[in-house]
Amino acid sequence: MTLALQGGKKIITTAEKKRDLRLYFSHEPAILALLFFLAVGLFLGVTGLSHIYYAQRESLANRWFTRGVTDLKAQRFQNAVADFRTALLYSRGDYTFQLNLAEALLGLKRTDEAYAYLLNLWEQEPENGLVNLELARIAAHKREIEQALRYYHNAIYAAWPGDQEVQRRETRVELVDYLLGINAKAQAQSELIALAANLTDDPVQQARVGDLFLRAQDYEHALNEYRLSMKSGRNDAAALAGAGMAAFQLGRYDLADSYLQAAVAANPNDAQSEARLKTTELVLRMNPFQRQLSVAERDRIVIEAFGSAGERLKSCSSSGHSMGSVSAGSVPGGLAERWEKLQPQITEQGLRGNPDLVEAAMQLVFDIERQTSVECGPPEGTDMALLLIAKLHEGS
Amino acid sequence: MEGSFNSDSGLLPLQTETEAEAAPVASTPVGARGALLRAVFREERFFLILSVFIGIFSGLAVVCFRFAIDWCRVYLLGSGYTLSRLRLLLAPSLAGLVIAVLVIHVFPLARGSGVNQTKAALYIYNGYIPLRTAVGKFITAALAIGSGHSLGPEDPSLQIGASLASALGRRLHLSRDRMRLIAPVGAAAGLAAAFNAPISAVLFVIEEVIGRWTAGILGSVVLSAVSSVVVMRWFLGSESLFRIPPVELKRPSELIAYAFLGVVGGLASVAFSSGIVTLRPRFKALPRWTQYFQPAAAGLLIGLIAVLGAPQVMGAGYEYIDEAIHGQFTWQMLAILAGLKIVATMLSFVSGTPGGMFAPTLFIGAMLGAAVGGVEHVILPHLSWSPGTYALVGMGVLFAGFLRAPMTSVFMVLEVSGNYSIIVPVLVANTFAYLISRRLQPAAIFDVLTRQDGLELPSMEEQREEGILRVEDAMQPVTGPVMDADESLEHAFQLADAKASDVLLVRLNPTGWSSLVRHELETMIKEGKGNLTLGSVLIGRQIPLLHPDHPLDTALRYLDRWPLVPVVNRADFRKLEGVISESDVLKRYRDLGEG
Repeated sequence: MTLALQGGKKIITTAEKKRDLRLYFSHEPAILALLFFLAVGLFLGVTGLSHIYYAQRESLANRWFTRGVTDLKAQRFQNAVADFRTALLYSRGDYTFQLNLAEALLGLKRTDEAYAYLLNLWEQEPENGLVNLELARIAAHKREIEQALRYYHNAIYAAWPGDQEVQRRETRVELVDYLLGINAKAQAQSELIALAANLTDDPVQQARVGDLFLRAQDYEHALNEYRLSMKSGRNDAAALAGAGMAAFQLGRYDLADSYLQAAVAANPNDAQSEARLKTTELVLRMNPFQRQLSVAERDRIVIEAFGSAGERLKSCSSSGHSMGSVSAGSVPGGLAERWEKLQPQITEQGLRGNPDLVEAAMQLVFDIERQTSVECGPPEGTDMALLLIAKLHEGS
Repeated sequence: MEGSFNSDSGLLPLQTETEAEAAPVASTPVGARGALLRAVFREERFFLILSVFIGIFSGLAVVCFRFAIDWCRVYLLGSGYTLSRLRLLLAPSLAGLVIAVLVIHVFPLARGSGVNQTKAALYIYNGYIPLRTAVGKFITAALAIGSGHSLGPEDPSLQIGASLASALGRRLHLSRDRMRLIAPVGAAAGLAAAFNAPISAVLFVIEEVIGRWTAGILGSVVLSAVSSVVVMRWFLGSESLFRIPPVELKRPSELIAYAFLGVVGGLASVAFSSGIVTLRPRFKALPRWTQYFQPAAAGLLIGLIAVLGAPQVMGAGYEYIDEAIHGQFTWQMLAILAGLKIVATMLSFVSGTPGGMFAPTLFIGAMLGAAVGGVEHVILPHLSWSPGTYALVGMGVLFAGFLRAPMTSVFMVLEVSGNYSIIVPVLVANTFAYLISRRLQPAAIFDVLTRQDGLELPSMEEQREEGILRVEDAMQPVTGPVMDADESLEHAFQLADAKASDVLLVRLNPTGWSSLVRHELETMIKEGKGNLTLGSVLIGRQIPLLHPDHPLDTALRYLDRWPLVPVVNRADFRKLEGVISESDVLKRYRDLGEG
């Protein structure tokens, strides 16, 4: 090929260009085919290499993950974090590894780091139950109530591995627990109603929900759940005690008495139920407004109650509280003066001669019990029973 | 025989653009001209297809390079997250010894990061990079990074890509112009695959290696970068380098905090580059036998740093950048890591260990950014503190301040974060860092390194900053006669005589300009053409138009044919803004040279 130089530039003649062009046209497909096959060959080679590479990484990742799980179970959180981090080196972005790492970090109380991982996981799978639950726990820990509720609700309606219903129920139980912890009783009650609606005929779960209703001060639902639990033939002491407590709080002392008696019989060490049973029995014994009570019996109860209230008044006054100067509710005058004034009439004869005295005497008893409970602390024994009867009488 | 068809191999004939331009097109028949144009077009098309193959080959090479680094890491340092002390000390030291022997005896061109070598190939060696360099870089850099030397895989990937492209170009007997271009095309592919960021790779290669934008270059570079990234993602997945948390700028006043980060980052960049610039020649000046031990000594010191509690400084450190982004270090620890990484990278680099500067720069930037953010949060707790945002901005800051690639630094952060809300903080911080770095260290690190190596490559930064001389800088006011095309030659001659002017400018109808030299006029008058109009004798002698804003170089193209060229208004071509002659241009260039 001839090159001519003109003005310092190389000139290719037209004939040469034509020849080049022909050759170029004829060789281009061959060159491209060659490059293509070379690329395919290399691609296959690298594919083989990548299989070896990924097999090794997978093996390393699994080995470190297994170690991590063992450490996590044994609560060796520091080791678990290192293990899971190593596993993630070889399987970057693996969901399970990250989730376990987050769990280990939570175990170490490294909440912020765990939160970063969980948030990343949440972005990948917003419907993952465990991630939502852990995020809810972190938000709850950070006192971010709105976030916590959002994540708890996400978790309740999320997808869970294994038995979804159980996981969802447990999450809702945790949410109720959280709501009760922040004193959001109304929200807790709503959640409990939803929880109760989805319960199977599992007496343990029913009793557990009853407990939660009890904590949420929804005694009616609590009693219902305990009854359902016991209906399934499982009269365990805790359920009986819970039912007794619910009936007691509802003022259904007859019912409470039977449940509490059974509870104490089933578990004699249950001091709380025993104390409550005593109070219940006192309420039942000291209530002069019960039906089917003879006049003599009623009068005896009124006299005893009046005496007991007087004792309570005296002990409260002696501890420095001036009951004589305190006006009780709408009744004018001091309680001590009123008691002193009425006391001579509260005899069997007096009550028999003037039946209206029963009402007046018991009204004074109730006033004294209420006032002394405010001034001198919660009453015990008969006084406690009288205070409860006062509440019962008010409601009737 | 460059720029010609190689008859021995029978491979494709690829002529150069210069050759095509210089060919006597006007004298060739129409059919031949068409064939030539088709050939040129076909060459362009072939180069684009070739760019795709270069991308594929580079992507495959980078994937293997990543495998090699990981294998080296597992076998040299161990597979665990926490490493044994003995390995931490021995692996980088012993690997350093092996690397030194390989670099001195087998792969001497594998030394350094790879960016300058690629630039040198473009500007000095006509795109020639031996394939051996790619092999050497692959082996030595994988050993270095895998054994814990504080270097990254990006710059070596860039050089491996460039070297593969160069080898392919040679095998296909490409023309010299194409050979010069093919190395940057491969470089972009290598960098894109290593970084999983095609836009940043394209920008970096255009901004720092080629230095100019043309459709031809851009097309090839983009195609190669995209194809290499596709290959890389095929094998290594499409996950970004880091898990990016939500980025948010709550109040515009927070930009002040980012500006402060820019200032700190600028100062850190200067400290980092000054350290390298100062230490590198001193290490090179040490007796030759010490070069066998320099990488080992650097490795030992890095191992010591790791044993003393900062193993994070070893290797590229991407996993730790990720941790910093997610707030897993205290600000004190972040600041310590940034400082130690500067020291470790300096040691690795100045000892001549092959490996890149990109990853360490990102590491230092991320740590520094998150540390500055942490401090700001302690002082100003109301700021919406997000370590991730500060770390990301910090990466951009160091990129702008240390590597001095301002455009790439912005797009790199955008590409890595995938979040455009971060652009404003990045722009603010990068600007501060870039300006501070330029002020305190006028020459960019890559430029200084090439000069230290005794090469004089064009500095892209200096080119960007260089003022362009324009026609308006050299043009002179019109003093000679200006006539209309309908005036007679006789009248024109009288006017030229009266004004004692050698050149007469003629305004043609309806637009355009021409000129007549006095002796031409004289000759025509003597030939009895005095009554003819100027327009009738100046047919086909229209002077190309020059405007005041044209580069001065443009004027030079016309001045060998036209002694005086009119400079006309862009809105009104008949309005003269001035005139320019060859002597005016030369005088302006002379003044510039003296100034």
